[in-house]
Amino acid sequence: MSSTSLIELNNVSKTYSTAAGDFPALKNINLKVGGGEFLGIVGKSGAGKSTLLNMINGVDELTEGEVLVAERADGRKLSIHDMSEDARSLWRGKNMGVIYQSFQLLPMLNLLENIMLPMDLSNNFHPRRSRERAMELLQLVELEEHAQKLPAFISGGQQQRVAIARALANDPLILVADEPTGSLDSLTADHIFDVFEHLVHDQGKTIIMVTHDMGLASRFSRSLTIADGELQNGQDALNFDRTTAGQK
Amino acid sequence: MRPRWRKVLHDLWDNKARTLLVVFSIAVGVFSIGVISGAYQIISNDMSASYAANHPANVELRTENFDDDVLSSIRNQRGVGEAEARRVVNFRVQKTGSEAWVSLDVVAVEDFDENRVNLLVPVSGGVKAEKDEVLLEKDALKKINAAVGDELLFEVSDGMTKKLKVVGIVQDVSTGAGDFLAPPFAYIDMKTLATLRQPELFNRAYVTVAEDQDNIVHIREVGADLKDKLEKNGTTVARTRFSETHKHPMGDTVNAILGILLALGILIVFLSSSLIANTLSALLSQHLRHIGVIKLVGGRKNQVFAMYFTLIMAFGILALMIAIPLGGQGAYGLALFVADTLRFNLLGYRIVPMALLIQIAVGLLVPIIAGLAPVISGSGITVLRALSGDLTGDENKPHKHDDREQVSWFDALLLRLTHMFAARGIHFPRPFIISLRNTFRRRGRLILTLFTLTMGGAIFIAVFNVRVTLHDYVGSIGSYFRADVTLDFDEPYRLREVKQYAMQVDGVQDAEGWQFISIELIYPDGSVAENANVLAPPAESKLVNPLITAGRWIRKDDVRKLAISEAALDPFPDLKPGDALRIKINGREEWWEVVGIFKFVDQEGILAYAPYEYISQVTNLANRSYAFRVVTEQHDRATQEIMAEKLDHYFRSQGFKVRKAESGLSSLDTASESLDTLVIFLLIMAILTAIVGAMGLTGTMGMNVLERTREIGIMRAIGADDRAVMRTVIAEGLVIGFISFVLAIFLSIPFTYALSDIVSTAVFQTPIKVVFTFLGYGIWLGLVLLLSVLGSILPARNAARLTIREVLAYE
Ligand SMILES: Nc1ncnc2c1ncn2[C@@H]1O[C@H](COP(=O)(O)OP(=O)(O)OP(=O)(O)O)[C@@H](O)[C@H]1O
Ligand SMILES: [Mg+2]
Repeated sequence: MSSTSLIELNNVSKTYSTAAGDFPALKNINLKVGGGEFLGIVGKSGAGKSTLLNMINGVDELTEGEVLVAERADGRKLSIHDMSEDARSLWRGKNMGVIYQSFQLLPMLNLLENIMLPMDLSNNFHPRRSRERAMELLQLVELEEHAQKLPAFISGGQQQRVAIARALANDPLILVADEPTGSLDSLTADHIFDVFEHLVHDQGKTIIMVTHDMGLASRFSRSLTIADGELQNGQDALNFDRTTAGQK
Repeated sequence: MRPRWRKVLHDLWDNKARTLLVVFSIAVGVFSIGVISGAYQIISNDMSASYAANHPANVELRTENFDDDVLSSIRNQRGVGEAEARRVVNFRVQKTGSEAWVSLDVVAVEDFDENRVNLLVPVSGGVKAEKDEVLLEKDALKKINAAVGDELLFEVSDGMTKKLKVVGIVQDVSTGAGDFLAPPFAYIDMKTLATLRQPELFNRAYVTVAEDQDNIVHIREVGADLKDKLEKNGTTVARTRFSETHKHPMGDTVNAILGILLALGILIVFLSSSLIANTLSALLSQHLRHIGVIKLVGGRKNQVFAMYFTLIMAFGILALMIAIPLGGQGAYGLALFVADTLRFNLLGYRIVPMALLIQIAVGLLVPIIAGLAPVISGSGITVLRALSGDLTGDENKPHKHDDREQVSWFDALLLRLTHMFAARGIHFPRPFIISLRNTFRRRGRLILTLFTLTMGGAIFIAVFNVRVTLHDYVGSIGSYFRADVTLDFDEPYRLREVKQYAMQVDGVQDAEGWQFISIELIYPDGSVAENANVLAPPAESKLVNPLITAGRWIRKDDVRKLAISEAALDPFPDLKPGDALRIKINGREEWWEVVGIFKFVDQEGILAYAPYEYISQVTNLANRSYAFRVVTEQHDRATQEIMAEKLDHYFRSQGFKVRKAESGLSSLDTASESLDTLVIFLLIMAILTAIVGAMGLTGTMGMNVLERTREIGIMRAIGADDRAVMRTVIAEGLVIGFISFVLAIFLSIPFTYALSDIVSTAVFQTPIKVVFTFLGYGIWLGLVLLLSVLGSILPARNAARLTIREVLAYE
């Protein structure tokens, strides 16, 4: 059962120590994510969504527990928090696309170069091939005519689509997105959602997305609610939707 | 191009002000080091090469008159290579049609075609003077504006003038090389001596040794043998000078001075690196978000490191592109200047490979060393911290406890002070208080900026103090012959007679007769240690104001006693008052007692004083003298010149055989001039440090403004206009400038002592009394405030130019 999951969180806890004392942001999270899932994590502000996501993408250190991610080739599971910062960075660059609410594009690079950056850093593609590939990804998010523009000269929604294209640069199996539509109007947000759905259904990507917008819950293939650092009672976070996962 | 390198390129190109700041900071250091190391190489090579190429005499003998027979015997002496005899006599010279008299040492050459020692090199016109023709040494042109074809009037002893025609300008780099007080030279044929009422006899011999020309011991031996031989033949030798062929007599002094400049250059490099470190760490913290993004999408520590390392190297390479050509030019310029001042030639413009390598090393190493720490810590930062901007200096982050505590402590103090002043009716404008608070917000950066500015200021002030110190010293050296006019005759006159006549001239207060005699100091083993000149003023003369370091000054009743200058400690390190010294005086060896030791410029050899009262007996000239010192009512330069002229005319009209009448300070002018050129170099270095300081301030203000963009936006949103924004920024710059000034006041004290110690040891071979002047402090205060305003205007304008929209779009 667990062998078919792509991502597995076992007893993950995160405690921030602040001047005011220790603050438990995540409490004993157990979670499994199957391949091909579009998992939504919903919760109020301060519930611990971002913290959870930063555990999964290895951007932040956990206090207790482990996060295992299946390797692309043999399905062997890798504990990402046992890797060094550098190794995790390289691994993330190749295997996990990361999208934030603030698009985090480099302002001095044009859209094409922003998308090429992960390929450049992981040396995954020949430079010429990486340019072609970046162009294809821009086409995917329908921004090919803006390829040479700097991020500052396109709209927020367009910037977020570039960020998605960048997340796809090294063709990872998994995308994690922290409120990717948070700073966009609902029409633009809808468009971003369409792109995600396309990626899940047509390209077999696994997406974990965080949002505080409860209304979006119906659009995920599965959604979990988090409150005060805990997954909501009654939800079986370990039981992912095998029908979707089976598609893969 | 790969995206990551494109980013590096943009980092370099997009923020041009920052790039220029860093590049210039590096360039200033590279430039100074390049100039000094290049000049050092060129000078130390060309100085001796140019000197050696001129076949300088290894032994110079100043003697009584001698003739061809004596010259042949010199030439036949064992160990002698080439020997030439000349007659050197000082004349007053005037260009026809001009009023000014110039003092020239006229050198009569035996045979211009057989010139083998102290070569004359043609500059323009011929290299050979026939009867009644004259060649001028290039240096004389600085004093007398003559060209080939002009006629010069030479004043001969009976007051008449003789006309000689200038037929050539030549250069002689060796004859006056060791003597920085020597007047310029002119060259004539022996036949012309008759015209100038001089005997056709020699009084100098210039001799090279046949072998071992760079062995001073051997040279001294040959010189001593020669001297013995001459004296056995009845020719008294007044003075001997020895020098190695490949060592310019001023070489050591020049090296010492270049050493000081080098130390300052290194200091500049040091200061500019602190400036670079400052800028780079600000750059890295501004780039944290970029680093976070790079690491988020798969970048590793090494890749980030490589990117920023490349950026740093690019700064260095750009700096080298500016500084290497300028440094090369500057090095040659400095070398040229020194060469011109010390009368030697350079072998031509060239790149000095060693200096080039040093520059490249400095240009690349300085940014690496200064930037390594911020780059390493920046590239090692975790994604989370980078993205959350933990290190961007955002004051609202809770983890910055220390700083906040310091600021609030400072704020409390500020508040209390403000209240205190307000209670006394003194109100500070708001913007000023805001500026003051801003200044202390980034303490690390403030300290670095203050450090650079303070160092620049302290050096600047110290240079001014050193200048006054040197002049004071030269002035006190002058107090060894303080007369307003020196009056020399061709024959001895009675003291009372001369004094009586002198008092007839309006403005004369007193006249004293002095005598001179040269002696030899003898080692216990009987060999000659040094020559010394003994001055014999009346023991009670007010004209001598010695700086006695041990023992006492001369007294009227001293018999076979003398006071001697510190230079005598060279051959006799243990010499102290009360010791007996074996000397050769008037051809006899005697024991004399040293009664005191005094300070004097070492350059001119050993000087001694003995009372006129005794020396006049030795010379058999009791109550008479050739040389007189006249005191006038006023002591300024112009009056002295006029009085010299008046006395000259008066005594001639009364039938005295006047040799020359000169204003008393004229020889000191030359010394002061050379010191001033040295001071100018020190000042240039001080200004360079000040510029580095100002650049540091500009950088700091730029960074401060950038970091406070949001705050400035808020200030504008609540109604501050452009001028108000600019005022707070400029006021902050002024506060920093003023604090650095206060610190520099203190730091300049040890700097003044250290610098004048080094300089005076280099120039005078002895430490001298330090004098302080307000001038340097005053100028620096003005300059640092000006630099502070200039340094903050650009950032202030940037700040004022920010629109509210831009401010809100920031980050
Ligand atoms: N670095 C930190 N130090 C201390 N406490 C933190 C830190 N980061 C987050 N927290 C706390 O942990 C809790 C969860 O934060 P998190 O950012 O995960 O919330 P979130 O669900 O993403 O909220 P939002 O919807 O506002 O983004 C919050 O109460 C927050 O204050
Ligand atoms: Mg969040």
